[in-house]
Amino acid sequence: MGYEREAGGRGMSYLELLNLAAPEAIIALAALAVLAADMFALRELELHFRLAISAMISCVGCVAAIGWMLALPEHGNVMGGIFIVDPLGQLVKIGLLVLTLFTILISLESNFTVHAGEYFALVLLATAGMMFLVSTADVLMIFISLELTSLSLYMLTAFDKRDVQSAEAALKYFLFGSMSAAFTLFGLSLLYGLSGSTSLEQIAASIRGPRLDPLLVLALVMTVIGLGFKVAAAPFHLWAPDVYQGAPAPSAAFIASGSKVAGFFVLARVMATGFKGAEGSGAWHGYLPGWVPLLAVLAGLSMVVGNFAALVQTSVRRLLAYSAIAHAGYMLIGVLAYGGSGLASLLYYSLTYGLTTLGAFGVVAVVQQQTGGDRLSDFAGLSRRSPGLAICMMIFILSLAGIPPLAGFVGKFYMFSEVLRPGSPGMGLLWLVVLAIALSAVSLYYYLQVLKQIFVAPSPGAGTWVSVAPVTQQVVLGALALAVLLLGCFPGWLVQRLAGAMAPG
Amino acid sequence: MKIGVEHYLTVSIILFCLGLLGVIVRRNLLVIYLSLELMLNAANLALVAFSRFNNDLDGQVFVFFVITVAAAEVAVGLALIVALYRKRRTAHVEDLTLMKL
Amino acid sequence: MAQLPDILFYVFAFLTLACGFLVVLNPFSTNPVTSAMFLVLTIGSLAGLFVLLHAFFLAAVQILVYAGAVMVLFLFVIMLLDLPAEERRKVKKAGLVLGLISVGAILTIMLQSLLQSSFSSEAAPTLEGSTIPLGRLLFTQYLLPFEIISVLLLVAMVGVILLSKKDLK
Repeated sequence: MGYEREAGGRGMSYLELLNLAAPEAIIALAALAVLAADMFALRELELHFRLAISAMISCVGCVAAIGWMLALPEHGNVMGGIFIVDPLGQLVKIGLLVLTLFTILISLESNFTVHAGEYFALVLLATAGMMFLVSTADVLMIFISLELTSLSLYMLTAFDKRDVQSAEAALKYFLFGSMSAAFTLFGLSLLYGLSGSTSLEQIAASIRGPRLDPLLVLALVMTVIGLGFKVAAAPFHLWAPDVYQGAPAPSAAFIASGSKVAGFFVLARVMATGFKGAEGSGAWHGYLPGWVPLLAVLAGLSMVVGNFAALVQTSVRRLLAYSAIAHAGYMLIGVLAYGGSGLASLLYYSLTYGLTTLGAFGVVAVVQQQTGGDRLSDFAGLSRRSPGLAICMMIFILSLAGIPPLAGFVGKFYMFSEVLRPGSPGMGLLWLVVLAIALSAVSLYYYLQVLKQIFVAPSPGAGTWVSVAPVTQQVVLGALALAVLLLGCFPGWLVQRLAGAMAPG
Repeated sequence: MKIGVEHYLTVSIILFCLGLLGVIVRRNLLVIYLSLELMLNAANLALVAFSRFNNDLDGQVFVFFVITVAAAEVAVGLALIVALYRKRRTAHVEDLTLMKL
Repeated sequence: MAQLPDILFYVFAFLTLACGFLVVLNPFSTNPVTSAMFLVLTIGSLAGLFVLLHAFFLAAVQILVYAGAVMVLFLFVIMLLDLPAEERRKVKKAGLVLGLISVGAILTIMLQSLLQSSFSSEAAPTLEGSTIPLGRLLFTQYLLPFEIISVLLLVAMVGVILLSKKDLK
């Protein structure tokens, strides 16, 4: 029991730790199992079977982890915030695992690699990193889990070894990612120096008074720059379009969905917990330095840059990338509505956005496999060639545009009303919400361009469309579309769970 | 004048900015990686100095982890360069123009 | 009267920054090998600073892992790629000036905030960073990050092998 003494009263046995971290451990074990199975048993089989078997093992792992969390809800706080297990974190982890499940399922029919085992193992390990990321309030853990996630995602981006674009996109992602890591690290090290602790709560406790220490402001700015890169907020978004375009479609989908959810959760946690007391004010006439005005500016920039750059895109993937940057802007507004149900609105938005964008990339993957391109013109006449796929894409696109009754609309409405709720810390950000609504109207133009190609434009001829989309893909995409529709019609189901998980006790 | 944490922080900040300068102005990918290492090392120096002057070992443990992470990151980055070099015979940022920026 | 550790601080700090500068902007050579060698020197001087901060274990790790393993990997890849001579292009003048100005501005802001900060260290430092207390912390309080690092190394290993191996057939 020596280690319990050493930890100075905060001790806990290794078994207890394993029990709390069981979902993550299950995912890591599943990744090892996939690697081992691919190495020992599947080498000789056809690629199709290898993909199917590896995907099956990965799915079993995800389902087991979800089941574990549902069956055994745990509470725990290890070593003063290094690892926190609470209902909210578990809910987010379940959301992340669902996104991973769908990512695995849309990769089933892919043909960009022969290394099936490694691909799914890296997807799982990235998921494990995200799960650690959402269950910690310690800057050391945040840095390590961020790096675990990022390294896996760089690899997933570079996975298509036959495609030069994939390698180039991965290299750009790596360059921007490592630079953001250096910024985050420097910011976090300043925070550690100012507070003498790596725990976010202790860091917040060392912030005193409305007059912020200049070094603290420096730490804040550097942390925001670092995390801003990760969530692709303007002006730190330069990597996003290239990565979304160059990466294999399932990887791009995963980067756009899972890493966004985890990234925004940790951004909200660092800001609301670690910089508690350094909010400042971003109101039109009552500016005070702090993180609220900083994030408000980033949110405004992201929305403007994302929406206007998307107008001129001809590649659907780049269009989705710029739309993702715009959505990062909307979600930053959600971060500003922290406290109370503000976080619930952010999580509802990011989870439904994750499902939607996953679906959209799934459709792009199918179209790209069939026509060999992802330009707007490659989508021409999709509704006549594959009506099911066209309807799914319509639901995803309309949800991204924020048309009722889809999840995207409910999410925006919920989030914006949370920011403007009386007593919300984001009060005074009316100008930002007005900007967001105005730019949503602009975004309709490019979303409708896609739909116009799908439903109105004439088909370029039967020659380019080799076969119908595989059944599994259609089923998976249909399920995603249904989820987006249902979450939009009955938002209470998820919102109540999120709010319930947030309630203390 | 007694050497305090401010002195170490000054060195660390200058080193960080040198690394940033390298990332911005140099065009050879390998030199950019070297500059990134400078930035990480600057953060390490700040952490060790804080650890010493806060009388708290956490900062040193942090550096221990950062060194490991940096090693893994370098390995990954170099593998990416090798993968790109196989296809394009280049290690220059200016040649990364397949997709418009 | 200046004491030896203080003098050593200035020596190592100067060496660190001078070598760091030569990594980034060497007026005599743009060869990556030169930059890498100067990074080794920077890392060595940083290890000296670590010793002055009584972080003995980290100083050793810094030399072993950074100067030993990481830099060898770097040099290995630089030699492997063997960039042809014409690939070593000159640094562009306009970009250099713009970069210098922007980074200079950032540096000024950072140093300003350091100067104006009320943060300072009054208490005399007594901390010793030897191996035993560090190891103890690693396997008690920081056990979980330690385990995550192993997963991270696995990711790096799988990925690097996958990327740099030539596909058969």
